[in-house]
Amino acid sequence: MLDKRVIEDVLYAALSRGGDFAEVFVEDKYNGSMKMVGGILESSISGRDYGVGIRIFDKYNSIYAYTNDSSRENLIKVAKEAAQALKEGQRDISLNLMKASFSDYNPIKILPSSIAKKEKLDLIKMGYEAAKGYDEVISQVTVSYMEEEQKVLIANTEGVLAEDTRVRTRYAVQSVAAKDGEMQVGHYAPGASMGYEFYDKVDVREVAREASRIAKVAVHADYCPSGNMPVIIDNEFGGVLFHEACGHALEAEFVSKETSAFANKLGQLVASPLVTAIDDGTIKNAWGTTNIDDEGTPTQRNVLIENGVLKSYLIDKLNGRRMGMASTGSGRRQSYKFAPTSRMNNTFIAAGDSTLEEMIANTEYGLYAKKLGGGSVNPATGDFNFAVLEGYIIQNGKILKPVRGATLIGNGVKVLELIDMVGNNLELGQGMCGASSGSVPASVGQPSIRVKSLTVGGRKEK
Amino acid sequence: MDYRRFLNRLIDRAQGRMENSEAFLVKNKELQIGVYKGEITKYSIAESGGLSLRGSYEGKMGYSYTEKIDDSSIDTLVHDAIENGRYVEGSEDEVIFSGSESYEDIDHYNEALNRVENSEKIDFLLKLEKEAYSLDDKVFAVSACDYHEFEGERYILNSLGLDLKDKFNGAFTYISVVVKDGDDTKTGLSYRVFKDFYTLDYRKMAKEAVDNAISMLGAKEVKSGNYPIVFENTSFANLLAAFSPIFSSDNVQKGLSLLKGKIGEEIAVPILNIVDDPFLKDGFASRNFDDEGTASTFNKLIDNGKLVGLLYNWKTANKEGVKSTGNASRSYKGSMGISPSNLYVVNGDTEIEDLLYLANGGLYINNLEGLHSGLNPVSGDFSLSASGFLIKDGQLHRPVNQITIAGNLYELFKDILAIGNDLKFTIPSNGYIGSPSILIKSLAVAGE
Repeated sequence: MLDKRVIEDVLYAALSRGGDFAEVFVEDKYNGSMKMVGGILESSISGRDYGVGIRIFDKYNSIYAYTNDSSRENLIKVAKEAAQALKEGQRDISLNLMKASFSDYNPIKILPSSIAKKEKLDLIKMGYEAAKGYDEVISQVTVSYMEEEQKVLIANTEGVLAEDTRVRTRYAVQSVAAKDGEMQVGHYAPGASMGYEFYDKVDVREVAREASRIAKVAVHADYCPSGNMPVIIDNEFGGVLFHEACGHALEAEFVSKETSAFANKLGQLVASPLVTAIDDGTIKNAWGTTNIDDEGTPTQRNVLIENGVLKSYLIDKLNGRRMGMASTGSGRRQSYKFAPTSRMNNTFIAAGDSTLEEMIANTEYGLYAKKLGGGSVNPATGDFNFAVLEGYIIQNGKILKPVRGATLIGNGVKVLELIDMVGNNLELGQGMCGASSGSVPASVGQPSIRVKSLTVGGRKEK
Repeated sequence: MDYRRFLNRLIDRAQGRMENSEAFLVKNKELQIGVYKGEITKYSIAESGGLSLRGSYEGKMGYSYTEKIDDSSIDTLVHDAIENGRYVEGSEDEVIFSGSESYEDIDHYNEALNRVENSEKIDFLLKLEKEAYSLDDKVFAVSACDYHEFEGERYILNSLGLDLKDKFNGAFTYISVVVKDGDDTKTGLSYRVFKDFYTLDYRKMAKEAVDNAISMLGAKEVKSGNYPIVFENTSFANLLAAFSPIFSSDNVQKGLSLLKGKIGEEIAVPILNIVDDPFLKDGFASRNFDDEGTASTFNKLIDNGKLVGLLYNWKTANKEGVKSTGNASRSYKGSMGISPSNLYVVNGDTEIEDLLYLANGGLYINNLEGLHSGLNPVSGDFSLSASGFLIKDGQLHRPVNQITIAGNLYELFKDILAIGNDLKFTIPSNGYIGSPSILIKSLAVAGE
């Protein structure tokens, strides 16, 4: 993607006024997307993201610069401009860039860009019709098709020279159900680090029907009662609970500045002993899997919490320096426009041995949150919130009725201690995770779990 | 590089195959500085941009883009735009626009901002951080102390002779502090969005952030139930921002906004006025023309409680046989959409003190979380994590957190009791949204 000699010259230029580490990140990414609204293919867009990011460390300080112009002359100019931010100094470095080798966790069979647009259009129509035809209450359907092929080259003064291609595919359906002047939305969007062969595995009609099913349940549901109650959170995307409530606070960006509730707690009991949580960047073809992170470090399987005991954080190079700890292969960024920081890949709570049926049967009164929407967290306080897309009230150990418009709020540290049942049905769901280094694909996951007590925000009193 | 000559070459080449074509080019410069414990820990400089081509081929509009802006990209852009347009349907109403009769001539670029030395900005951040630490022993960390400055140029050039260019700049700075009292941790934020660096006052900002955080120490829930709610100006502005897609004619036409068929109807209390003002002085979305090259216009959306307008681009305007309101909006990576410019609730006439007296026993909400997930722009329903204060006898009585407030926007519009006179805008994102503080009769609160 960029000549080795040019990379070396840029790295030398970056350290021309001091600094103790320099890195070059080159990105050349093809994006394709198509969107159908109301049966009409409204847009089809493709394009190329292209640019170079240059980073310099001087102990704990970091300088970052990026540009679209990858000519040798411009890159050296940008590197020298970036170096101007350092106090005067000089460093003699000798570079020996070695091509890195690493495992391929994301084997790709069919590049999406090699498939004719007509075929993709048929695939989109198929989902649209399945979603629209699901029930007469479905008033509007949007189907989005997404493909990307991201080539990256990462080189640094530690001698790393790594190149990789990341292919990702995603299919999203949003269904709107309308009844008596009210509208409710259902959404489902599976994705993978796979090529077009993803559609051999995933039936888009099932994806579409799932989105419509959620919308239909919601439009027939009553408003959710509010208050504190036991909450059963179902598997798959329910893992956004752990992602928001705890995952972000385990990122070195917050731990290194001790602004995380989990700082200085390695080896301590921080959760119910039923909880084991893992971030694994190596799961074959998973949405959040990469072979190397965006700093060129091979990804790995990081056990974060084992039987309730805090075992590891998610660490990138810069924050690792501050903490005196090695990278866990967790340095990620949206694109060359962002300096990387510690992020999650595929994060999940490991399976336990309860069943969902047992959990419901053992709950006198509570909420069964079958599908969660997105959420957010304040990593310093651990306070989190997320939306329930599909929920049911449980009474006397049985599902009573669907409810809508619920929000779950709580505190990450506390909620981990309050998990009192962990199911045996672990699944992963896919999402886009936003933070200071941009929006990156990440899997969340868990089996069904029960939290003894959470604040449920709704519009009715109990 | 002479971009106008380059874009002319691109259009010439596109016209060889397309019926009509348009180039849209954005060039950005950015500067970010962050300090931590007296040192510059983050320093980022950037120059980047993107180029989009849209054009019609056999009557269908197609799009393509690239960030590699040179002659080597031209053929791919033309080829991909034609291919992308091939299967697109319903694009008949989307046209390339030849230009408005006249444009306002307001300069949105502040030369003075460009002349501020970086050392002054760094000095400001270092003072801001130090001040925050000095204000109270409970300040445990300054988790962010950042300065962002941006400068953009926009070119639109098409085969119908449209040839427009503009330039804008701006900056924002923010500080986030973490305070601790035993096991109790709270955070506080202060930010400024500005075009004049010398209006910044680090003492005021530091005090605001620290006061915000300290005032929340000891916060706890309130009993679940219905409470009168005073939304602090920026909290209501954030809520309005999340719901702003309801004013897009595109969403209305697609049945994704409940404002369908409501023009001329009373949808809010008579004291509510909402406008979209592209000429607002120092507004961060101020502009003389939109992303289709249409002259910007001032638009009333809600006038004394009545819905009187929506936001249009040419595609949605042509569908209804009306004129574009100059709200076409796009990134070079996307197709033509719609977004507000400076959209805000017009100031009312109630003093903040009076809002608090009117809301006795209610809650003052100055922070909302989960705005991207806890609300439904289609139905208007929301259920959001919130924090603020319990109000007693016109005073902020005690801090409140770990609660949610829930309701429906359309019901809320009819439950507004009073509107303050303290209009303030949020950090700019998709449009620049503002509001004064607003008192709502009652919303459902979940807590204890």
